[in-house]
Amino acid sequence: MFDIPANIFPWVRAYVGLALIGALFLAGMAAIWIERKLSGDIQERYGPNRVGPMGLLQLVADAIKLFTKEDIIPAKVDKILYVGAPIVIMMSVFLMLVAIPFGAVYINGVEYVLAATQMDISILYIEAVSAIAVIGIFVLGYGQNNKYAMMGTFRNFARMIGYEIPLGITIVSVAVMAGSLDVVEIVHAQSPIWYAFLQPIGFIVFFIAMMADMGRLPFDQNEAEEELQAGVFTEYTGMRFGLGFFAEYFHLILGSFLISLLFLGGWNLPGFVTDNIVLGIILPTLFLIAKATIVMMFIIMMRWAVPRFRIDQVVDLSWKKLLPLSLLNLGWAIALGLYLGA
Amino acid sequence: MSGIVNSDIVYSYIPVAVFLVVALLMPPMTMLIVKLLSPRSTGAEKYSTYESGSVPTGPARIQFNVEYYLYAIAFVLFDIEVLFLYPWAMIYRGNTGVDTTVAVVEMLVFIFVLLFGYAFLWKKGALKWMKN
Repeated sequence: MFDIPANIFPWVRAYVGLALIGALFLAGMAAIWIERKLSGDIQERYGPNRVGPMGLLQLVADAIKLFTKEDIIPAKVDKILYVGAPIVIMMSVFLMLVAIPFGAVYINGVEYVLAATQMDISILYIEAVSAIAVIGIFVLGYGQNNKYAMMGTFRNFARMIGYEIPLGITIVSVAVMAGSLDVVEIVHAQSPIWYAFLQPIGFIVFFIAMMADMGRLPFDQNEAEEELQAGVFTEYTGMRFGLGFFAEYFHLILGSFLISLLFLGGWNLPGFVTDNIVLGIILPTLFLIAKATIVMMFIIMMRWAVPRFRIDQVVDLSWKKLLPLSLLNLGWAIALGLYLGA
Repeated sequence: MSGIVNSDIVYSYIPVAVFLVVALLMPPMTMLIVKLLSPRSTGAEKYSTYESGSVPTGPARIQFNVEYYLYAIAFVLFDIEVLFLYPWAMIYRGNTGVDTTVAVVEMLVFIFVLLFGYAFLWKKGALKWMKN
């Protein structure tokens, strides 16, 4: 292209893509605000309403508080693990962020995907780096030398190894039907009908497994406040806690995007075709963000609809229900994929 | 065209490297800002382990229950199954010269063998939480 060597573009794309990190932080703050406001509404209280209009500046106040709180490293913790664990968790989130497309821009019929990078195996890559967070949480709990944290770690371990498998199998089912491991290709393959309708079982299994993966209620056994103080975060305070807390919300946001991309058609809306340049630039991205927001609000509302499961129920659900269901869905996807593809 | 190895494949991982560096630098930088802004106070008590206000007793690092290993082994088995499914999912449609019928039957046999092991695990009670 022109006189610029082709190997410059990935670098440009990477540095422009760093803006996504800023966007993710803003989205994380928005997610926390939505969660608090929605929880307030569901419980018939106000939620944040003092700082700024509708409590919007509450998050700024919280950030100031976290930044000015003393950093305490307790005497008995393993210092390297204690300091390193939030870094590992953040690393997992940022590496997920690289490959997730956040929308697309259509200019003169050509599609430009809004992502920091495009790979041909992006969904496999995303699943691989999201699994690093499990190691992060394990290190987090183990390094603190605290009984509550240790119990949270045990529960986390039992939960995560159960839900990674249905998650992986449903992702394979999607890939089987789309014939590609590239998220962009998977979105294109859903152009007439979303996979949520073609693979309803897969959608439900993926949704539940994703919620467990994100540690959202009713799957937050690793930090169940009423039972384990703060579970795996017990000895963390101030900004070190803030990093882990933010990473959880980042997982919530990225997970909502993944659900929208893999099963809800990504930036497609059935019947939407436009020749208008401005609409072609704006609307597809807005569709995706709207879908992800709805998914996220649904997940937040689930928190107040379903009580927390016991750990044995969680383990039973993944091994004895989701795993057979996901294999059933895989068979269905293979059959339907061959039928539709022929 | 996805699924075909080309020389540009390395370039798509350059942003990954850039993000990795940023991810490794961001938490220490944040903690540096905290260090500059936050107040300091002394006192031995605040460095003690939290145990609902009482004096901490005994070690926290107990051993993993042996039943976790059964879960872990089952997990490794099924996760490797999923890993085998990924490359298979890309080629079974026959676009790389693979016979679709043979590929599907082979994978069904593979899954069936694993299901046999799964049924055995279930029967054996390995998937039951805290049997005793």
